[in-house]
Amino acid sequence: MGELGQLVSYIVAGSIMGVVYAALALGFNIVYRVSKSINFAHPALVLLSATVAYIAAVRAGLGLAAGTLAALAVGFAVSAATERLVARPLRGRPPIALIAATLGVYYVLKGVSMFVAGGSIPQASLLRSEFSLRAGPVTLSASDIAAIAAGAGIVAIVVALHRLTRLGVAMRAVAEDPYGAAAYGLPVKLLTMLSWGLAGAAGGLAAIAVALKANLSPILEVYVIKALAASLLAGLDTVAGIIVGGLVLGVTEQLVRFLEPYLRFGVIDFTGIHEAAAYMIMLLVLLVKPYGLFGTERIERV
Amino acid sequence: MPAGVFKETYLQQMAHLRYPIHVYSAIAALALLAALPFMAGPFIANKLAFYMVYLVAAIGLNITTGLAGQISLAHAALMGAGAYTAAWLTLHGINILAAIPAGALMAAAVGTLLSLPSFRLKGYYLAMASIAAQEILFYTYQRWVASDQYMPVNDDAKVLLGLELGEGKLLYYTTLALTLIAVWTAANIGRSSIGRAMKAVRDNDISAEIVGINVTRTKALAFAIGSFYAGLAGGLLALHLTAIDYDNFTLEQSIDFLAMVLVGGAGRIIWGSLLGLAAIMASQSMLEMVFEGNPMYKYLVLGAAIAYFVVKEPEGLIAVLRRVKEYFRLWPYSY
Repeated sequence: MGELGQLVSYIVAGSIMGVVYAALALGFNIVYRVSKSINFAHPALVLLSATVAYIAAVRAGLGLAAGTLAALAVGFAVSAATERLVARPLRGRPPIALIAATLGVYYVLKGVSMFVAGGSIPQASLLRSEFSLRAGPVTLSASDIAAIAAGAGIVAIVVALHRLTRLGVAMRAVAEDPYGAAAYGLPVKLLTMLSWGLAGAAGGLAAIAVALKANLSPILEVYVIKALAASLLAGLDTVAGIIVGGLVLGVTEQLVRFLEPYLRFGVIDFTGIHEAAAYMIMLLVLLVKPYGLFGTERIERV
Repeated sequence: MPAGVFKETYLQQMAHLRYPIHVYSAIAALALLAALPFMAGPFIANKLAFYMVYLVAAIGLNITTGLAGQISLAHAALMGAGAYTAAWLTLHGINILAAIPAGALMAAAVGTLLSLPSFRLKGYYLAMASIAAQEILFYTYQRWVASDQYMPVNDDAKVLLGLELGEGKLLYYTTLALTLIAVWTAANIGRSSIGRAMKAVRDNDISAEIVGINVTRTKALAFAIGSFYAGLAGGLLALHLTAIDYDNFTLEQSIDFLAMVLVGGAGRIIWGSLLGLAAIMASQSMLEMVFEGNPMYKYLVLGAAIAYFVVKEPEGLIAVLRRVKEYFRLWPYSY
């Protein structure tokens, strides 16, 4: 396999991971649109959904479909409960309050995931299948294909829901202008809670995707924290743009990984720097264009 | 105001020790702290000294976040900058007492660099920038600074005039002295013009700018001072430990620091940090003892505590304490 073949396979791997990143980042964006804040509990929510899916699919032996349903249900319920118990009492408080509170929820959900799994989160894969597609230097395993399906599927579902159904339009209305929505008689509280629930369900399905791609492990939530970079790059209040953000992040990571052997400055070698690439992107976006590629700029006027 | 006490000057009104009871309790507390190694065992004294290290770090974050309102989730990484600088200097034959301030200055420099995003960003954007900074710094420690997980600290550098500063009673007294200096300085920062400027920026940055406060400079100072304290704590950590392990400086440790500040009381630099540290460190120690080091219960209890305090007690344990004091003052009446 030549260098070109290697590059192609890296880019394909990066694209697959990019779709997964997009799915993981979707939860942040849905919550941001409706509550104007980042839900830092999302990484642990994904971890919890993945753990529950693993228990349903592998330990209980019900198969991947049942695991997916369980993850969706858990994600929806936990996220809606978070909104009801934590985010709603904090409406109108400064952003630090919601950041700190969701960090607290992050800890709680992490603890719950460990508790559910029986003390600690196992290293395990969700899907055991020998099936694979080969095309030149590129090999796609069954897990890859399932991950792409889950990742792209959740983004498509959320976009379709927001665009085509009355419920989705109502959710968008509440996110856009809660006072106006209330004047039209929309149940703002309920719709806010449902939006959080939708973000949680998206997280649940994304959890399946990431667990298929990278296996269930105690450090699964690191992928979600990295996905924040995709969210920022796309802009925090866009939904469809997230695909671009995710793909850029995934491919960049793999490109950096491809270039690592050539990046030697004397004694310093950059092996493994692709692990930090996501955070570099985050800082860069925040310093240069904090509102992202597709986000709306908020200009404060006095 | 107790009877028989009245203030004639502004200086008296703003003094740290305003009432006779403050003076008595300060003397009693200092005497107790000074005599503690002779009363309690070496284990307790060392544990207490170790807590003091984290108290210094929590005070630093309380200045950055509580006083100036700048959210930082990179505090543990800044502590690491101080610790590694101090450890590296001791390996090159510098005495630890010189290495600790050097580490603090290094951390302050890094922290000022991290404050660059704060000039443009607010709230959660700033939180994300600090998460990115924390992870990049942690990655640097993992890969380059301490690539085999530990950086040893030179024991021969912990000697002053033939006295071993790094063990036993002297370790306690060295930590105590540095902590007291740090606490006293922080208390003064809170009531100085810098501290007031920070409070103004926290409460309303636009108004602060109109009043003539240099917001950019104030934010940079808040990060610099907070990071200086983090670095000081890191240097003290180098005094305590024989090797610096990068697992001390994870994102979770940063979250724990933020939890200390918010549970204790943001903006009340000394007492808030002290209460938060006591609550969180004590509960962690207890949970570790009971559950033999499984972090699961730490996550559950600590997370629930953070969420509860932010939602129900935004002013932290300080407010709870105030209510308790008020209850006893008014007893047997309810108001």
